[in-house]
Amino acid sequence: MSRQISLQQAVNEALAQEMERDKTVIVMGEDVAGGSGTQGEMDAWGGPLGITKGLWSKFGDRVMDTPISESAFVGAAVGAAVSGLRPVVELMFVDFMGVCFDQILNQAAKFRYMFGGKAVTPLVVRTMYGAGLRAAAQHSQCLYPMFTHVPGLKCVVPSTPYDAKGLLIQAIRDNDPVIFFEHKLLYSIRGEVPEEPYTIPFGEANFVREGSDATIVALGRMVHLASDAAQALAQEGIDCEVIDLRTTSPLDEDSVLESVEKTGRLVVVDEASPRCNIATDIAALAGQKAFASLKAPMAMVTAPHTPVPFSDVLEDQYIPDAKRVAAAVRDTMRYKA
Amino acid sequence: MQLSRADLLKAYRTMKMIREFEERLHIEFAAGEVPGFVHLYAGEEAVATGVCMHLDDRDKITSTHRGHGHCLAKGCDVDGMMAEIFGKTNGLCAGKGGSMHIADLSKGMLGANGIVGGGPPLACGAALAAKKLGTGGVAVSFVGDGGANQGTTLESLNLAAIWSLPCIFVIENNGYAESTSCKYAGACHDFADRASGFNMPGVTVDGHDFFAVHEVTGEAVRRARMGNGPTLIECKVNRYYGHFEGDAQTYRARDEVKTIRETRDCIANFEKKATSSGMLAASELQETSREVLAQIDDAVAKAKAAARPGAADLLTHVYVSY
Amino acid sequence: MAQHQAPVGIVANPASGRDVRRLVARASAFPVSEKCHMITRLLAALAATGVTRVLAMPDRGGITERLRRAIATQGPHDGWPQVEFVEMPIEDGPADTLRAVELMVAAGVAAIVVLGGDGTHRLAASACGETPIMALSTGTNNVFPEIREATIAGIATGLVATGRVDATRASRRNKVLRVEVDGQQTDLAVVDAAISNHRWIGSKALWHPELLSQLFVTFAESDALGLSSIAGLLCPVSRRAAHGLRIDLLPPERAAVTLKAPIAPGLMASVGIAGVCEIRPSEPQSIHSGSGVIALDGEREIEFRPQQRVAIRLGLDGPLTIDTEEVMTQAARDGLLVSRHA
Repeated sequence: MSRQISLQQAVNEALAQEMERDKTVIVMGEDVAGGSGTQGEMDAWGGPLGITKGLWSKFGDRVMDTPISESAFVGAAVGAAVSGLRPVVELMFVDFMGVCFDQILNQAAKFRYMFGGKAVTPLVVRTMYGAGLRAAAQHSQCLYPMFTHVPGLKCVVPSTPYDAKGLLIQAIRDNDPVIFFEHKLLYSIRGEVPEEPYTIPFGEANFVREGSDATIVALGRMVHLASDAAQALAQEGIDCEVIDLRTTSPLDEDSVLESVEKTGRLVVVDEASPRCNIATDIAALAGQKAFASLKAPMAMVTAPHTPVPFSDVLEDQYIPDAKRVAAAVRDTMRYKA
Repeated sequence: MQLSRADLLKAYRTMKMIREFEERLHIEFAAGEVPGFVHLYAGEEAVATGVCMHLDDRDKITSTHRGHGHCLAKGCDVDGMMAEIFGKTNGLCAGKGGSMHIADLSKGMLGANGIVGGGPPLACGAALAAKKLGTGGVAVSFVGDGGANQGTTLESLNLAAIWSLPCIFVIENNGYAESTSCKYAGACHDFADRASGFNMPGVTVDGHDFFAVHEVTGEAVRRARMGNGPTLIECKVNRYYGHFEGDAQTYRARDEVKTIRETRDCIANFEKKATSSGMLAASELQETSREVLAQIDDAVAKAKAAARPGAADLLTHVYVSY
Repeated sequence: MAQHQAPVGIVANPASGRDVRRLVARASAFPVSEKCHMITRLLAALAATGVTRVLAMPDRGGITERLRRAIATQGPHDGWPQVEFVEMPIEDGPADTLRAVELMVAAGVAAIVVLGGDGTHRLAASACGETPIMALSTGTNNVFPEIREATIAGIATGLVATGRVDATRASRRNKVLRVEVDGQQTDLAVVDAAISNHRWIGSKALWHPELLSQLFVTFAESDALGLSSIAGLLCPVSRRAAHGLRIDLLPPERAAVTLKAPIAPGLMASVGIAGVCEIRPSEPQSIHSGSGVIALDGEREIEFRPQQRVAIRLGLDGPLTIDTEEVMTQAARDGLLVSRHA
């Protein structure tokens, strides 16, 4: 019955279906078509990894290549969003937030509150994040904690093709500014994805695996490491519950707390650097609201507090892996008060 | 193209409203009645008025931290603005924005903006939306001489030019970015000179002269509506007060403002021309002034009497749905 | 000898070349940096002809500032004349040009180089008296000043200032149009004066020919740009002729004769012609419009009202301008720049 496609295809399909459904949806960003103004072919790239390839051919000038001016075109997407369009703007690498953050932080995120609830800013910023491509310090970061910190933004970090499609369609239909994080190493993973459009509501975590001994909370690519770890631990008789947060803002606190109350043990896996990241946030939540249920100190598996290194030796060491996740769970299980 | 009597009266009422609004806030701030940061537009009235006379509700503007004049000229409600500046629930932004963030999207006013240079990209987007949706609207980005040196402004000039957006960049050069001279801070002396680098017309106009501003922006708006792309207009102008209320302005020459008020005041010049031409009678101007002052008195009284937000209001309006 | 030599004046209008004609026509921009480059080229040429002192108009429009930097860095190497900025209040407006020219004349300059458009030269003309002007174009649609390389202008001015050419032949007398309101002379034009049904001065330039009712010209060249082209294409008048022209105009849809004229850069306009006649110095021309605006040399300058009496009079006693071609011809003929070494 099932159709298997990649996460990359799922994103492309979500964009195409929403552009088809709603004429106010536009896609803009650097090289989202590619070839603008050249003597060669148009729609040459579809973004550097080809994610948006083919949209220009279907939708013409609703897919707009931009100059490398993130402030101007991300800001223009914000301005267009408060003026009747539903722009999906691509910030090629989330690291480039450094050259346009004002338009997200001080403009898009603030309009609704600052204008007394009168503004509606239906904007989606799609952006690539994460380490693993040997892309070094300026093209590999996991910056969703910085966006999650900002009231007024919604942050989506999908882990599977199914979630990517449903969450992206939800993001486009949502009336608030949404930052949609796509992990570079997940584009090629395949999974079952329905052909018809569907949405996945924000703020509803996904129970990837049910278990009773320990809760592993993860997001994005880390969900797959958590699942691998849980599978390995199952061989040892440790029954883990794996929760995929899906969105960091809004955050499904109830699912996390419900699970921690059941298992009494919490390990959070986050690819972001360790201070003020999603792991600390989830741990603080459990510490505040599920303290009495905890049987062991909470554990966090994160990247170290360093920039992302280039060398493969160093980068492999930098990125959390399933072994570290499993070890953290074992430590939690062994804990004696 | 020729201004009618009704146009002139409307322009006068707008300029006078901005002036009296600001003069009154100057007093209320000094008396401790107005919280926060307030940046007054007095002295620059001819710019906002001359530009916005050409716009209607489908047209959008982005503003600056010195935004009261733009708001009033674009049709924001006087009572709602005053209440907002006093931080009251019936303010245009429910007391959550304040002086620096007054907006009324139904009037195409996309917000005063606390970030210098925050507006131009938004204006590009508004212009892009007008183009894609075929509304015939234009977008105007008011930018100060400080904001003119922001990368956002330069990037936006480029974006507007390559996409031929119906966007007009109005640089209000009042000579000072906070306390620093625009001559020190800008490598080009006239911001209009930058336009040619972005392949668009750049015009310098006397921002004290309503008639000049009105005429030039009329042409720019016409050009934009016809689909001929963006224009940069630099209005050379002066502000009568400091960067913010409370600024001692020790960086300005002695009598600088006094001389400008006496010789170049946009409202006094307008009154002289409108009456000597026989278009408006002095009595009409006086009557308009009286009405404006009464309206301001009324707005201030209402704002002072209005309810302050309640504790529950803190958490509302963050998201449409969350 | 150099100590006694009269200085040369330089007046450069920082504001020219940036008005609305960049928007409504296709006029090119003229940035301050280019005006400053022109002045540095002038200085180099003046130095080569032996001029040792220059009086310059101060401004807050960026020219003075750049020039001071250039003088400090390049001047000493290139042996430029000593440049002094005239001490005067700066108003950032036309009054600056007038005041600077007056003060330069009072200081006894031998010639004044004016960099600007027709408007700037109009102001200089009203204050320069018998001091000759080197008219250099940096404005928009210029008829009065020449579009001339500043280096050559500098050589010609220097040769006049140092007395090495026949002064009577080196400069030529220009005509003017004087505007009288209620019997008082208020202003003058060096090329043209137009009566327009505009009500306001506004952004000054004129680009709606249908509003024009009358045009007066001191001279009209058939290859000119601007309002004087209307006259130039109907009935050219030379700079030296003892008469000017009056053209009566109509909205084109009401006229039996229409003319396509280049009234601004890139702006061809259809104008309706009602009549053309010569005007002479003895005959003041009354203006019959009830109210309107008088544009002088292409820029709206005077708003007049029904109760005011307005007249325009041709004068043959306008400013002297240096004839570059004549001076350079003399320089070549007399070998003024030639040195022979044994």
